[in-house]
Formats: sequence, structure tokens, C-alpha cells
Amino acid sequence: MKCDKFIEALGTRVKILEVTRQCDDQVTALVELNDLPEAVRFLYYDMGGYLTTMVPNDERSINKHYALYYALSMEGGKMFAGDEIAQDEKCFVTIKTLISPDSLVFPSVTPLVPACVWYEREAYDMFGLVAEGLPDKRRLVLSDDWPDNLFPLRKDAMDYRYRPDMKDHYMEPEYEFLRPEGSGIIDVPLGPLHITADEPGHFRLFCDGDTIIDADYRLFYQHRGMEKLAENRMNYDQMGYLAERVCGICGYAHAIACIEAAEKAINLEIPARAQAIRVICSEIERLHSHLLNIGLACEVTGNYNAFMHIFRIREYSMKLAELVTGGRKTYGNVVMGGLRRDITGVEIKESLRILQIIETQVDEVWDAVMDDKRQMSRWKGVGILDKQVARDFSPVGPNIRGSGIKRDTRYDHPYDFFKQIQFDVAVVEGGDVFAREMVRYMELKSSVSIIRQCFELMPQTAIIVDPTFHVKPENYALAYVEAPRGDNVHWIMQGSAQKVFRWRCRAATYNNWPSLRFQFRGNNLADAALIVCSLDPCYSCTERVTVVDIKSKKSKILTNADLKNFARTQKDSPLKDLR
Amino acid sequence: MMKLLDISKKYGEITHKYPFEPYKVSDNFRGKPAYIFDLCIGCAACGIACPSNAITVQFNDDKSKLIWEFDCGRCIFCGRCDEVCPTGAIKLSEEFELAVKFDKSALIQRGELDTQYCTTCHKPFSAKRLVKYSFECLSKANVSEKRLEEAKNYLCMCPTCKKTATVATFTGGKEMVIE
Ligand code: SF4
Ligand code: SF4
Repeated sequence: MKCDKFIEALGTRVKILEVTRQCDDQVTALVELNDLPEAVRFLYYDMGGYLTTMVPNDERSINKHYALYYALSMEGGKMFAGDEIAQDEKCFVTIKTLISPDSLVFPSVTPLVPACVWYEREAYDMFGLVAEGLPDKRRLVLSDDWPDNLFPLRKDAMDYRYRPDMKDHYMEPEYEFLRPEGSGIIDVPLGPLHITADEPGHFRLFCDGDTIIDADYRLFYQHRGMEKLAENRMNYDQMGYLAERVCGICGYAHAIACIEAAEKAINLEIPARAQAIRVICSEIERLHSHLLNIGLACEVTGNYNAFMHIFRIREYSMKLAELVTGGRKTYGNVVMGGLRRDITGVEIKESLRILQIIETQVDEVWDAVMDDKRQMSRWKGVGILDKQVARDFSPVGPNIRGSGIKRDTRYDHPYDFFKQIQFDVAVVEGGDVFAREMVRYMELKSSVSIIRQCFELMPQTAIIVDPTFHVKPENYALAYVEAPRGDNVHWIMQGSAQKVFRWRCRAATYNNWPSLRFQFRGNNLADAALIVCSLDPCYSCTERVTVVDIKSKKSKILTNADLKNFARTQKDSPLKDLR
Repeated sequence: MMKLLDISKKYGEITHKYPFEPYKVSDNFRGKPAYIFDLCIGCAACGIACPSNAITVQFNDDKSKLIWEFDCGRCIFCGRCDEVCPTGAIKLSEEFELAVKFDKSALIQRGELDTQYCTTCHKPFSAKRLVKYSFECLSKANVSEKRLEEAKNYLCMCPTCKKTATVATFTGGKEMVIE
């Protein structure tokens, strides 16, 4: 069976205590605590794995321990041609280990596999589990003034409505940014006031002149505690809607991933028509998301004309969503067991007409953008994500495909209707902003084709199976959906009474942030906003920037307009009177 | 650059004059749920289905009315209420202009339904309309006159009294009509 090969190989390295199978292509191997780093490293580098997610879990009520689950997608390193696992052997292997509640310490995997860094920082925030040997032990998710011994996701920690008192701002502990050594380095904080449409974040850029030499960032200003909320008071029907609101752009991918995780945990197969419609809607989402990002990548470099045209086309994709789901942004049609709303013949016909418009016009505008030498010079060679850095940090989506690595969940682990659909994975070499935008353009084209194929191939079946299902407590599974920015991964362990025991939702961008630091290095300050934008977390311009010159101790507060203007024109550096 | 200008020329003006002209949404648009009080029977199915608790169905303080209340500020336009409502009293409409000026209470819609009191213990337990509706359904269901008459009494009892009555029938060894 699938995965056995990897378990066997792993067995030669470390002692496996127990193997459990969740579904056809997901197995879990329980290893001893001390073997954890080696087990993960072995699968990651020697067997060709990428880190999909890591889930800490409070299982004291089940087995008197805390547990960690490192889920790896076994697909091959993909660093050179042929470095890939055969299509029918790709699978997910999860390394599980148990931590005693008396020690709360586990050996960090990060020194061996850098991709784990954020996950292990989060394990401390949420569960108080300490990664021994983790180079960076700062808080990640919770705010700096969060009470020291309160770990919200422990089952006995707190009521989900509890909000600790905030400290006055002058009492608030300082967050320590990682700063490079050396004199003459200028500290440029970006944010935290707004920065992004859906994720406010604070970036600290360390500059020498106008060149960024390093960067650090603090995110999660909008942590909403959804996982805790769902565990405490939601049933599966409600969770789908909550998951759809995780993100303001790729929410639908979250909704499907969340519901599919629950479906997988009980091996529930949904009708083919429902599968097809889920794919159609998620591809529509990709259309509007990619158009948004390409548009913004033009806007942030001052190309308003192209931006307006791209948004004009984007409106068609929003219309398309409205047509087939009744909502422009939230599609709200996923329920456990299938879908709530079918697509009629009339709607299909109209959709095909709209798709045609999108396809032609996207080509026209892209052609014009490619022709624009000024635009190209702003995109090319900027914000390079090195291939090896990408291999080490497991980024996802156009971010990694733009670095020449062929990772796409739709292709590696085809879910739903993707088993029957033909499409080419968009891979571009180069790793710069241009490569990432090119990937997006190619995906726009393939999305249109995927939607067409779905319309053609979807059978006339029911769209929902009888919803009388029984969840089995302690069963868990992983579900993944290739959202516009990469795979959204949801992990669900079921509890009793139709509730979840643990819901771990990992958005695509979570895997993309840790390597951003490397993308910043060596670039011009004027490109900072563009680089963040090309990751597609959102557009990034700056509300307000404080610039401090360490040497002269001079500081200056820049307005949004100052930095935006510099980003667009690259003239009149806002830093010049500080030098 | 010139190419972009050509595109502009080709497609011309595409903006709408909204709000000076109406904006047409697609059929089956999921807009604000519209409530038809006359059809509502107070069964609370919508309140149970609503994932975001936008709809509540509760007695008022002195329990003289069953209050159906919808808070548009909480609604996520999912359409669950529309699906489960047995009488079509709530349906998603095409309305999307939901902003209110300063007054948040304008987002709230209420319906007050008369309370049904239990014929045995006289406690309030449901809405009059729900009892009436259940009876009408039964009348259409081709059951015997006698059974219908029994149902009439039965429907007007609160769940607790119903339970007691059933237990009493069992333990009393009385015969029951089962059809
Ligand atoms: S549309 Fe959904 S959220 Fe709104 S009232 Fe109905 S069930 Fe509740
Ligand atoms: S009749 Fe419809 S609107 Fe009224 S309470 Fe029942 S489900 Fe809700």
C-alpha cells in the first residue's frame, strides 16, 4: 500500500513504536521523543518530503500526554529533473510523538529542518511546549503582553470567551527584532498600522543606504482564536462557514479543506458532481485572487493604467462567482457530505460566456504589461527566492513555483475532481517577482481550462449524500486544497457529540512568511512593498514609517504617501536627509 | 504603454452610474433574508439552523409573546434559514444595500407571535400558529376523525405534560389507537 515504503525506510533509522493509517494516502508513525528530529529530517531531506503542517495537541484526556504531529508531504525534493517521487507513491507521512505533561519539553527539529521554525514557536504560544534547541524562541502568535502562563489551546486553560486585560502601551514588553550586526544600519519599521488588506503586520527593514540588508517581522495582529472557538462551541455545519471566513480572498479553499478533513476522518466519499462544483468554485476563486495580485503588483510600482484594466477583468470573475453561488466572495455552499447548491444549465451557459471574455481580455492586458519595459524592469531580478532556501522552508503556491520547483497539491495529491482533469503545473525559473507573476498568469489560463473541463465532465448525480454520518472520536485526518497562494491545510481530530476535538488550520501564507526574510536581502527599499506584494499575502504599502539612523540617532516619520511615492517613482529617497 | 491605451479605447466606458441607477444582481443572489411575518409559525427551525445566531426565537419576559428576531448585523447570508423554513416565511432577497445611519437597531427585525399555553399545566410552550399549522398538516394527512380529535388535544399540551400523559396511558393499561 501507499506510504509503506517510507515507513519501512524510516524504520531503519529510528525505532517506530506504532503505525496507524488514516486513509489511503495518510499514515502516522509514532516515534520516541528523542528520535523526533532525526525522523523528520530523514523524511524531509533523504526521502524527499516537504513540511505540510505541524499540529501540537493536548491529548491528556486521551493518553495523558501532549502530542506533536509533523505532517510531511512525500513528493520528492524536486531540485532537479527527475528528483521526484512516482505519482502513485506520493502520500503524507505524519511523525507523531508524545510529550509528558511533567516536562513539557521536546527536542527542536528546526536546526535540522528550518521549515519547522514557526510551528515550533507557535507550539509554545498555544500549548506551552518548549522546543529545546530552537534558535528563535520569541512569541509568534500571541501578543507580547499576553499573560505568561496562559496557554490558550490547552483544554483546561481558559474559557474561549476569556480576554486577558491588556497592558498599557508603555508597560507592554518590547518585541525583540533580530537585527544584523554592523554600524550605519538604518532601521525601517513598516507598519503595524495597516500594511495589508487582510493581515496587518509589522516589518522591520534594516537598511544600508537604500539597500535592505536584512528584515524581521511581527505578524498575527489579528489572531482571532478561531480554533478555540470551533473546538468549544461549533458543530461541523457551522465550522464550514467559520473556515470560509479565515481569509478575505481564499476563504472558499479553507471551507473545502476544513470540511474535507472532517469527511476524510470518517472516510466519507462525496458525489462526483459535488466534487466538480467544489473544484469550479475554487478555481473561480483563483481567478479573482490572481487578478487581484497581478493588478496590485502593477499598482505598487505605479502602473495605474494596467491596474485598472486588470481590475476591470477581475470584475467578470466576481460576477461569475455571483452567478454560480449567489455571492461574490463567500460562496457558502459547502456542507459535510457535499454541497447545498447545484449549478443549472442556464448558469453554465452564461459562465462559459464570461470565461471566454476573461480568457481573451487577460491575454490582451498581459501582453500589454509584458510590452512595458519600465514595468518589466521593476519586476525582473527583484525579491529573489533562492531555490535552496525554498527547499529548506517549504513555501507553497506561486511563491515556490516561481523558483522552479514543481509543487502543486492539485498535481501532487489530486483531490476531488482533479483526478480526472488535465492541466499543466505552472513552473517558472528565476525566483523573482516577475517569475511569480508569470506563474499567476499561467494559472489564470489553466483555471479557465479547468473550469471548462469540469462543466463538460461533471456527471448528473446528486450533490449531497445522506448526511446521517457518525463521527468517530479520536479519528483524525489532513485535508489540503490548493488555494491561490498555495495549499491550505486543515487537520481535524474528531471529538464526541459531533464536535471537533482539535482543529488546526494552516493558511498558505503561513508557510511563505519565514523565507520572506531571504527575499528581502539585497533589494532596494523602494521594492520592499512590491516583494511583500508578490508573495500575495495582500498588498503592502505603508501607513506610516519611522526611520532611525543608528549612527546619527536621527529619526524621521514618513507618511504613507512618502513611501508609496518612492515605491512608484524610485526618486527622492525618503532617507536622504538622514545620511 | 500604447497597447494599454488601445485596450481602453476598445472597451470604452465600463463603470456603472450606481447609485444613480440601480445595480442589477444575478438571479439567486444571496442578499438580505426577507421575512414575511404572516407566514411565520414560530417553529424556530431557522434559529437552530443559523450558524451565526443571527436569528433567535425566544419568549419575551412575561412569556406572553414568542419573539422572532433577526439581526442583520450578524447575518452571513448563507441561506440556511431559507432552506429549513417549512412555510417560506424567510427567503433570501436581492437586497444588498444594508448600511444604516448611526442607528444599529435599524438592523434588527422582529416578529411577535401569540403564545400557546398548555391546556393541562397552563404554562407557555409554543406559538399558537405552530399548533395550528401542525393541526392543518395532520388534517391533510388522511387520518381518521377520531385520531384527529385526539391530536387536537395532544398538540395543545406542552412536552412535559405530553410525556406524563403518555406514561400514564402506558402504566394505566389503557389501549391506544395506533394507526
Ligand atoms: S442567511 Fe444564514 S446567517 Fe443569515 S439569518 Fe439566514 S441562516 Fe442566519
Ligand atoms: S416559520 Fe420559518 S421563519 Fe418562522 S420560525 Fe419557522 S423557520 Fe423561522
